[in-house]
Amino acid sequence: MNPARRTRLEREYALLGAILIAPTVLIFCAVIVYPLVSAIYLSLFQVFTPTLEGSWVGLSNYRELLGKEEFWTSLLNNIIWTVGTLSLQIIFGVAMALILHQNMWFRSLARSLILFPYFVSTVVAVLVWKWLFNDLYGIMNHLLIVSGLTDFPIDYLGTMPNAMISVILVGAWKYFPFVVIAVLARLQTIPDALYEAARIDGAGPISRFFDVTVPQLREVLVVIIMLRAIWDFKEFDMIYLLTGGGPITSTQTLPLLVYKEAFKLNQMGMASTYAVAMMAIMLVFMILYIRRTRSEEDT
Amino acid sequence: MADVILRDIVKSFGSVTALRGLNLQIEEGEFVSLLGPSGCGKTTTLRILAGLEFPTSGTISIGDRVVNDVAPAQRDIAMVFQSYALYPHMTVAENIAYPLKKRRIPRGERTVMVQKAAELLQLTELLRRKPRQLSGGQQQRVALGRALVRDPKVFLLDEPLSNLDAKLRSYMRVELVELHRRLGRTMIYVTHDQLEAMTMSDRIAVMDGGDLQQFAPPNTVYREPANRFVAGFIGTPAMNLVDGELVLSGGDWTFRTGNLSVPVPPLGENAAAGPAALGFRPEHVRFGEGPIEGTVQVVEQSGHENIVVAKFANDLRITGRAPAAQVWKPGEPVRIRIDTAEAHAFAAGPNGERLNRPRAAA
Amino acid sequence: MKFTRKLAFNLFAWAIVLAVAFPLFWMLVTSFKPQFELFRRPPTFLPETFTLEHYWRLLSGTNFMIYFRNSAILSTVTTLVVVAIATVGSYSLVRFRYRGRESLAFIVLFTYLLPSVVLIIPLYLMLVQMGLSNTILSLVIAYSTFALPYALWLLRSFMAGIPEDLESAALVDGASRLGAFRDVILPQLLPGIISTALFAFILSWNEYLYALVLVNSDSARPLTTGVMNMLVSAFNIEWSLLMAASVMMSVPLIIVFAFLQSYLTRGFGAGGVKG
Repeated sequence: MNPARRTRLEREYALLGAILIAPTVLIFCAVIVYPLVSAIYLSLFQVFTPTLEGSWVGLSNYRELLGKEEFWTSLLNNIIWTVGTLSLQIIFGVAMALILHQNMWFRSLARSLILFPYFVSTVVAVLVWKWLFNDLYGIMNHLLIVSGLTDFPIDYLGTMPNAMISVILVGAWKYFPFVVIAVLARLQTIPDALYEAARIDGAGPISRFFDVTVPQLREVLVVIIMLRAIWDFKEFDMIYLLTGGGPITSTQTLPLLVYKEAFKLNQMGMASTYAVAMMAIMLVFMILYIRRTRSEEDT
Repeated sequence: MADVILRDIVKSFGSVTALRGLNLQIEEGEFVSLLGPSGCGKTTTLRILAGLEFPTSGTISIGDRVVNDVAPAQRDIAMVFQSYALYPHMTVAENIAYPLKKRRIPRGERTVMVQKAAELLQLTELLRRKPRQLSGGQQQRVALGRALVRDPKVFLLDEPLSNLDAKLRSYMRVELVELHRRLGRTMIYVTHDQLEAMTMSDRIAVMDGGDLQQFAPPNTVYREPANRFVAGFIGTPAMNLVDGELVLSGGDWTFRTGNLSVPVPPLGENAAAGPAALGFRPEHVRFGEGPIEGTVQVVEQSGHENIVVAKFANDLRITGRAPAAQVWKPGEPVRIRIDTAEAHAFAAGPNGERLNRPRAAA
Repeated sequence: MKFTRKLAFNLFAWAIVLAVAFPLFWMLVTSFKPQFELFRRPPTFLPETFTLEHYWRLLSGTNFMIYFRNSAILSTVTTLVVVAIATVGSYSLVRFRYRGRESLAFIVLFTYLLPSVVLIIPLYLMLVQMGLSNTILSLVIAYSTFALPYALWLLRSFMAGIPEDLESAALVDGASRLGAFRDVILPQLLPGIISTALFAFILSWNEYLYALVLVNSDSARPLTTGVMNMLVSAFNIEWSLLMAASVMMSVPLIIVFAFLQSYLTRGFGAGGVKG
């Protein structure tokens, strides 16, 4: 009667737990871990896509990458796009959340309308905006000309800086609802007692906003910004579909560069190098976010 | 014959040790309370008994069987949780019937048993409701019903009354004792409320820091606390505990602190001169006359008596019970006498053992 | 006075809401206009001639129905597979103790944030080698790379919200671990499962990049790349037809919005942006 460190029952449970997680682990290994490792491995090769023939080139892809202007302009574009669209998302998102938090008429209908762009397919969003942006018959140009803001139709996607601005705007339109919902959810958990206490202390509506609302939102905003920064940074569909990276490469971000290198220029090795470099840059944000989430779980 | 035996149970969660070698023998049909402050290991003990946690080492027996390797389902136990843990998607009837269903008792029989349990707990009207449509007290009765419907060998109750209001709680205390008497089953009851433990139990297991401090009937725990922790934990207002030293002179023990010197009842062989603590309950402090002089600080009136806290030299604070007829005012000078025949001496340290000579031997 | 302020605020708020919703309204309106009405200056706000001809042509004269069917199969299969695996997986991650459990949760979160373009090249090579290119199955496999971490992360958080006592009670009442899972946990998890399934379905339905790279034949093409192809391949762009296609493509989403919207907002909370 000298019990082992782990009872049989405990071992049975551990085994059951392992069996239940097994499908997940298998799929993860097959479709995520293995490709991830191969991506890093591939980045050390020169591969011609149609024949899939490759030769080991070691780190020379990375050396080439550092000297390549296209990589750096794409990175710069990527940063401009991310910072631009993210700031608009946050500003409009918080503002909209504050509006929806008020007692407005048909609030749930308004919320649905705001939420819809987030869930609609990027393809649909892009088609609609391309139609709105249409040079001859698009309603945007019509409205601008009628209102006298411009005399000639604007080319929204074919020239710079218009193209970048348009992409950033459409990105903000599509993704700001995420901020709205997240902030709104947080706003609804701020206890009324806090506002009442501030009112008793003589705070007006403006100081109530800055002294009560803003500090309460800080936490959730940090999380939203990190998450959206990661997602915006890796955005492919919207930019690719709106401008294809053009004019020339003016709106080409890193994901588009990877795609072009791999499937248009047929250089899979180099493309993998770009992809790995991009992931390395994102890793900073990802680790920040992961650490934050984990520390939150621990408390 | 012992019904439930815990032998040398150690449980650690990572670097935290919740139980350090617990030994407990519970007789068949006994009502035992596990009493202690939060974090003392009482709930862990109960969960280990239930098979929901696994001991790092040690053996658990229920009946004649070592159950370390037995799943909760086969341990012949029932448990009532602090949160009640009623299944929200099932009706009251389905909740009570669930343990029977899991034991493959035919539907017809099941219905009869659920009806019987419902009648016993006055739940008949509520059988079709969902748990969220019930009040706290009703949910509590459903949880009890689910436990007793299949007549287990041992009942495990984890602070079942702590979410009820005071009035309902005292009502349920009586109900539970009555239930225990009627069923005659072993019940192990976890609580941090000493009133519950004192009023309901055959024996109380006082726990602290993962160790058993004392395991004895309520009266013994109150009158002969095994150590300083038990002495301070049991009783409201708490026992007065004064640090000082024991002095042996001419075969008689004296307790000294500051310029105060008090005679001590006969001590056992484990007593030694040196640092120690003197303990005496508030009811053994007499106000009005006596050798010790101080000032009244706080008076709490409870109608039938007054709780008086008075301050003495060297920052010594003593709490006593005074008859309601005696009127004391804060700031007033007061003299007290300690009924030293009823005092206890404890060895130094927070868990210092009691040094008095055992009553039977005295 | 109070009412005027309220009115002003509501007008202001609704102006913004309608401006945000305008592109989608314009999509709907355009899809009902005959082609010639699009070229009217100034544009008509509501269709003068209301027509369903574009919808009719979309369904009868193009590959739209094939794409729609492909998307429906693809998204349904991906959702079913991913949610089933993630449900048992998250149960294991939250309620069992074994070595590596913590690091596994970390990997899930990591992959939840991983960009598709990093995986797409090796996945492409792998699926070509397996002879799966241009099949719906290849997309199901590819979609699980983002849908599975997403579903796991969501369900893990929903699972953690179910009181552990419920499972303990079921175990004491005589259930095995799997019995407790079926009798007690699954019913409690159901809203979370619905949320997760909706998210997985919408993500799959909207996916573009993998479909672009992995499928190059109309028989397996889903809606996203299919409709884009209609835009690119047409000699002159028929905006009404494209808008009709966009509306049709959003039908599942509109259904979800009409009946199950609360599940979507619940998913937000679980997805890592808790308040």
